[in-house]
Amino acid sequence: MLKRDQGVMLPTSVAVPGYKVELRGTAFCLVATGSWTVREAMALDSGLRRLRVPIPPTPDFTGQVDISGIEQLDTAGAWLLQRTVRAWEKKGLRTNFAGATESFEILLDEVRLRGDGQRSEIGKLSLVESLSQGFANAITPITRDAVVIIGFLGHLISTLMRMVAQPWRFRPTSFIHHLDHAGLRAVPIISLICLLIGAVVMQQGIVQLKSYGAEAFAVNMVAILSLREVGVLLTAIMVAGRSGSAFTAEIGSMKMREEIDAMRTLGIDPMETLVAPRILALVVVLPLLAFLGAMMCLVGAGVMARVMLGMDTAAYLDALHNAVEMRHFIAGLIKAPFAALIIGLIGCLEGMKVSGSAESLGTHVTSAVVKAIFLVIILDALFAMFLSIIGV
Amino acid sequence: MATQVALSPERPPIISVKGLAKSFGDQQIWDGLDLDVYRGEVVGIVGGSGQGKSVLLRVITGLVSPDAGTISVFGRDVRELNREEKIDMESRWGVLFQDGALFSSLTVLQNIQVPMREHLDLSQAIMDDLAYLKLAMVGLPPTAAHKYPSELSGGMRKRAGLARALSLDPEIVFLDEPTAGLDPIGAADFDQLIRKLQQTLGLTVYMVTHDLDSIFTVCDRVAVLADKKIVRTGPPAELQARPLHPWIEEYFCGVRARAALA
Repeated sequence: MLKRDQGVMLPTSVAVPGYKVELRGTAFCLVATGSWTVREAMALDSGLRRLRVPIPPTPDFTGQVDISGIEQLDTAGAWLLQRTVRAWEKKGLRTNFAGATESFEILLDEVRLRGDGQRSEIGKLSLVESLSQGFANAITPITRDAVVIIGFLGHLISTLMRMVAQPWRFRPTSFIHHLDHAGLRAVPIISLICLLIGAVVMQQGIVQLKSYGAEAFAVNMVAILSLREVGVLLTAIMVAGRSGSAFTAEIGSMKMREEIDAMRTLGIDPMETLVAPRILALVVVLPLLAFLGAMMCLVGAGVMARVMLGMDTAAYLDALHNAVEMRHFIAGLIKAPFAALIIGLIGCLEGMKVSGSAESLGTHVTSAVVKAIFLVIILDALFAMFLSIIGV
Repeated sequence: MATQVALSPERPPIISVKGLAKSFGDQQIWDGLDLDVYRGEVVGIVGGSGQGKSVLLRVITGLVSPDAGTISVFGRDVRELNREEKIDMESRWGVLFQDGALFSSLTVLQNIQVPMREHLDLSQAIMDDLAYLKLAMVGLPPTAAHKYPSELSGGMRKRAGLARALSLDPEIVFLDEPTAGLDPIGAADFDQLIRKLQQTLGLTVYMVTHDLDSIFTVCDRVAVLADKKIVRTGPPAELQARPLHPWIEEYFCGVRARAALA
């Protein structure tokens, strides 16, 4: 903001902005006063827009903008003045400024120079167009993703094959680190969640089956449900949220800082150093966690059985023994390594897709978790169909 | 011109920092730092790495609070303002962060309009007109208006960041290493831009920099941060002629300084 004199300005001398048009000889004169700043722009703008351009009665009439009464001027004020001048000149009224200080002059010139620049307009789409485009944008990545995931899986398998042939390429430190992070450190949260869900399912089962007098069969229901579905599914979802997202964030932030490119130029294969140890660790650890999850579900159910049915531990174990067969246990755990593969693949792949900005890191972490959970549930459904067809 | 304004001693400083102290952990970065900046001048803050140049900018703008000392801007102590006064003061200064710090989810035009939208009640048409004007004033093409920050080059991001800092026509502009990461031509252009805008808008510019070329082309005065305080202030030519401090001597009379002046 430029002030007329650079001295200290009292609040009273900062006048409200104003303008009036008067005729001085053969010149129409816009007399502007007060403070022409961005704060006052709204009020000034609506008034100036309504201001009619004076029509010169004879061609020798000119226009003048007298700004000697302006106390403060900034770009917004200068722009409003220049816009008015432009409008007047368009109607054939040659217009000049009067009473500008040196600094006001510089600002007014700059604004005149820059103010009538070109605009770039964004094309607006109709509703139908934008809807159909949105639909297309939602669908095309799915097919593209499928291709990319399969390609990534192939790349991983070829890397693992090479590792089998050249075992020194395997990175034990990294592998063990991820066993610890994805496995051991997930134990408390997975135990707790499975325990609670086991208890809740048991409680609901008892309440519902009570009306048939069949509440003892709630044990059968919970036992089979935990071993076949709940244990592994809950664990996989938790791991997707914990470790899948961590993989994306770790690899993604390395990608952002060009560390992945640096590795490649140093002759280190990121697939071998970053991706393989993570996915292998997850494949090892997820069945163990799923086993733990299933057991904790049974523990939670046992606690609820004692509380609501008065069943003691021996009776509960006996009921469990009668209810479950080995095939239920296997049908649950067989899914775990596949779920681990999906979570690991998606996590690492999304990490690799991160581009320069932090924003893209955020989007890819989100999409890693969403895709991993979605695919784990699809996998679960496919397994359920397959296993029931072969009669397990 | 601006230089004479800066040197006349009876003028009250627009930014006045007194007795500032700050530690991070057990590492003290300043002890009794004093700095005055006068209206209408371009002050360059130089100093070695880790002397807290950028932190000083953050302390003055109230982003980091010091351990001791007073900071007054426009004659008011920034730490004793209430909420409204603080907002009012913030609309009287603009800050350009190192990489522009543009909001990544908004286009350049929307970024420039953020301060107008937040602090003033303007119609969309005026905001568009003013934003295009600011865009042209910082030397960006109109085609940049609807781009997102991630689609711009580093130099363009800085220009867009400057346009946002200038959105409300502030009186003071803080620049954090404005030419860092730009190629020499881009850096020289940016220096010219700062000079031009300073003259056009009557700005007071507080500039943290490493760049000797910017110091000699843009700065009216240089303040040197060393030994936990501002050891000297003065026009760059004077500091170069009489360094009186080993760091200043090395900075202004070293190989790179001679190259910059050659």
